[in-house]
Amino acid sequence: MKIDNSLPLEYSTEENSLKVLGFWIFLGAEIMLFGTLFATYFTLVDRTAGGPDSAELFEIAPVLIETFLLLASSFTIGLGIHAMRLGRKKAMMAFFGITLLLGLGFLSVEIYDFVMYVHEGATIQTSAFTSILFTTLGTHGAHVTLGFFWGLFIILQVKKRGITPQNANKAFIFSLYWHFLDVVWIFIFSFIYLKGMM
Amino acid sequence: MRELFPAKQVMGFVFSLILTIAALLVYYLDMSFTAGMTLLLITAFIQAGLQLIVFMHAGETKDKGSIYTNIYFGVFVALVTILGTLLCMIWGYI
Repeated sequence: MKIDNSLPLEYSTEENSLKVLGFWIFLGAEIMLFGTLFATYFTLVDRTAGGPDSAELFEIAPVLIETFLLLASSFTIGLGIHAMRLGRKKAMMAFFGITLLLGLGFLSVEIYDFVMYVHEGATIQTSAFTSILFTTLGTHGAHVTLGFFWGLFIILQVKKRGITPQNANKAFIFSLYWHFLDVVWIFIFSFIYLKGMM
Repeated sequence: MRELFPAKQVMGFVFSLILTIAALLVYYLDMSFTAGMTLLLITAFIQAGLQLIVFMHAGETKDKGSIYTNIYFGVFVALVTILGTLLCMIWGYI
């Protein structure tokens, strides 16, 4: 295995570099996936079939909490990768831990929000609008849930084996995924929530 | 402790908070639909670019060209999907 010391640890072998590039290609496909969900959402947003519309359903407080939690978690995972590049194992694990706690906070607020919607009579079966709303938000939420467990296993591996080229590569790819979820949320926040309440 | 908080990322975070607050103006101020959507489009795309460059380090290796080409392609397909859907499902019937 050829190790190039001029690059950060996560790129230090050719295989590692290729894995990072491969993950970017996966993220390109994810952009298209969320593109189709947004296309469907914009088409169906006014088809409320007598159920609540977006202005009645959405509330600003939970959405703001979710946004700031996710933005902060994107920042802390960035700091985690920075600490990893400095070789600071403890700091890295702490930042990854904070990131996952913020992610868990995000999920709790989102689940609370979903329960509120159902109480207000907006279930996934109510109208075309609520179906695509729950599908789009749920797809993002499922990604965050997966990311939570992925991150948990990264922390365990770093704890057990330290910051090796392999672990650094896994952690970096996980950070790409987490930042990407934040990018998707920005679009949900802007074009589903804020547009709906405007 | 200080070296754990690089200025570039702290500034990136502060800037992303400012962009979020700017986007919130569409909720708190009474704006026309066009003005609101313009503001949201600008803040959302700057925010996405910020994440990509500052936090995801998209341009730091020799794969920079491939990474950006791939992202542009993904965004292009997503925009064509969204605008094309709107054209044939909504805008064509107004």
